[in-house]
Amino acid sequence: MIVVEHLTKQFVQAARFRVPAVTVQAVADISFSAENGCITGLLGANGAGKTTSLRIVAGLLGADSGRVTIDDIDVRENPRAALSRIGCLSDSRGLYPRLTARENVIYYGRLQGLGQAAAVKRTDELGELLDMTELLDRRTDGFSQGERMKTALARALIHDPANLLLDEPTNGLDVVATRRLREALRYLASPAGGSKCIVFSTHIMQEVERLCADVTIVAGGRDVARGTVHALCAQTGCNDFEDAFVALAFSPTAVNSGATT
Amino acid sequence: MSQNIHSPASTSLRDSLIVFRKEMIDAFRDRKTLMMILLTAVLIGPLMLIALSVIIGQQEEKSERREVWVAGLERSPELHNYLLRQGMKVNQAPPDYEDQLRDFRLGESVILIPDDYRERQSKGESPELRVVFDSANRQSTVLVSRNVSLLSGYNREQGALEMSMRGVAPAVLEPFRIQERNLASAQSRSSQMTAMVPWMVMIAVLFGGLTVALDTTAGERERASLEPLLTNPISPFSLVLGKWMAASAVAMAIAAISVSSFFPAKLLIQSEALQAMFRFGPGEAVMFLLMLLPLAAAVSAVLMLAAIYGRTYKEAQSRCTVALLGFQLAPMIAIMDFSGEKPWHLLVPSLAQQTVMLRVLRGDELHLQHLLVPTAVSVVVTVVCLVVLARRLKALAIR
Repeated sequence: MIVVEHLTKQFVQAARFRVPAVTVQAVADISFSAENGCITGLLGANGAGKTTSLRIVAGLLGADSGRVTIDDIDVRENPRAALSRIGCLSDSRGLYPRLTARENVIYYGRLQGLGQAAAVKRTDELGELLDMTELLDRRTDGFSQGERMKTALARALIHDPANLLLDEPTNGLDVVATRRLREALRYLASPAGGSKCIVFSTHIMQEVERLCADVTIVAGGRDVARGTVHALCAQTGCNDFEDAFVALAFSPTAVNSGATT
Repeated sequence: MSQNIHSPASTSLRDSLIVFRKEMIDAFRDRKTLMMILLTAVLIGPLMLIALSVIIGQQEEKSERREVWVAGLERSPELHNYLLRQGMKVNQAPPDYEDQLRDFRLGESVILIPDDYRERQSKGESPELRVVFDSANRQSTVLVSRNVSLLSGYNREQGALEMSMRGVAPAVLEPFRIQERNLASAQSRSSQMTAMVPWMVMIAVLFGGLTVALDTTAGERERASLEPLLTNPISPFSLVLGKWMAASAVAMAIAAISVSSFFPAKLLIQSEALQAMFRFGPGEAVMFLLMLLPLAAAVSAVLMLAAIYGRTYKEAQSRCTVALLGFQLAPMIAIMDFSGEKPWHLLVPSLAQQTVMLRVLRGDELHLQHLLVPTAVSVVVTVVCLVVLARRLKALAIR
């Protein structure tokens, strides 16, 4: 379970020759929580603060204020314990091209504290789960986007984390690969897959509609609405989820609390 | 997942070893680059020594050849006669010898007897004899001083003849005699020639760790693999430590290979003089390694720090080139500056190593500070670079 309370984060770009200093309020006040066994969507336009929030959750950035707990462990106070309970599939999915997919995955497993034998066994299991057994012993150089995504997802799942953070995971994937990913995520959230807590950030409505039980809409660095897809449609009186999103994310109140200062 | 509870220190060392192992596998899979680096390291000793033996061989041959080139020989048969009496083979210089010297076609200095030689001699004035050479044409400079001393010998003989005809004792003309006495030992004389050897070895070491240093820092940023890597529960310092261990292991291997390449190379050298000059036994090799291994560690750390600020491999490479240039040029102070060794030389990385390795080659006495100061400086540089790198890693990973 992931609980995020009143995060704020400001970036200051120092003044350079003839360019004055710029302050960007990337996250103004974001709170959301994600339950176990549930896929929580973080929906927002580009630049709404999704990636920054997820980076704070993953311990890559320190928040200016606010608190993140993962299974009741504070990320700021005990980052190692918190990090070992989450798997991250960030926007950057770089693999090591001279290593095989298996070696890429095992490397992360070892860094997560698994023994070599346990990491090998777990990689085989993930190969089955993500339908990538035949990929495992190929070098990742020349992998397609879908193959890279699978490898990166296997890498994030190697230590069987209770929580999974996915930052725009469907970027660059074709229909078939997207469907496979969706199936895998549904399985992971189900009791058979370990009832994982999955946070899924995206700007694509269809993904959220199809996958997420709970949606938090983010705009201008703030969380502006929360609920199921149905509830959000009902709240705005729209039949279409896209209309509901636009109404919520780009309403005058949401925009006025804007991101840049 | 069950996880063993270890003490923090052993966990971070374990993490560093995992990173080290992965980076070494990665480096060894990059066969072409690795072969290139290793080949350079293997060949550096033999190539240096062959080049040196050719140069020394040429000079030996030249100084042994008793030959002299004279322009305007017909103007002074007495000089011709003197040169022949000295056992010289006298050659008439080609008419366009000046041009030939300038464009390196003639590699000999030429004794010029000017047109007005006879005339001025008969008037009782002292005419001028010239030794013509071109200092840009190194070959032509080798025997200049021999030719000058040949002429001064002739000068003395002529003067002595005149004087003795007037009944003056030769000792009046020559109140004292000059004799050179060189205090340098055979080994230290040779080290002028072999001063380049430690420098070349150092260059091999400098470039040895470069690819791994680049690949583990800027390479990770360019591939966008650094950000996910940092989402693992591993401290940035153990990560940096593991990567640095890989980069410096390669650089240290290069140091060991290039130093040991001198042993087979010595067997190939033809010049006996060089064989005698280049004293390089196991003791010298150990001293070289004591200098080079800490340097390899420090250079790897500096390169990694320079490279991490590069967003792409290419950008990082240009930053590293600047850093490497500093390391390459500093030893030049020891090679070029003849005012001798200064205490501060030992504080400058790479210049310090060059200074101490030159002492080793010269067979000079080594004190404790020669070993401790350069190594301590290397250790400090390494630690500072790694700490800064670890601190900046997260901020740079997500940019």
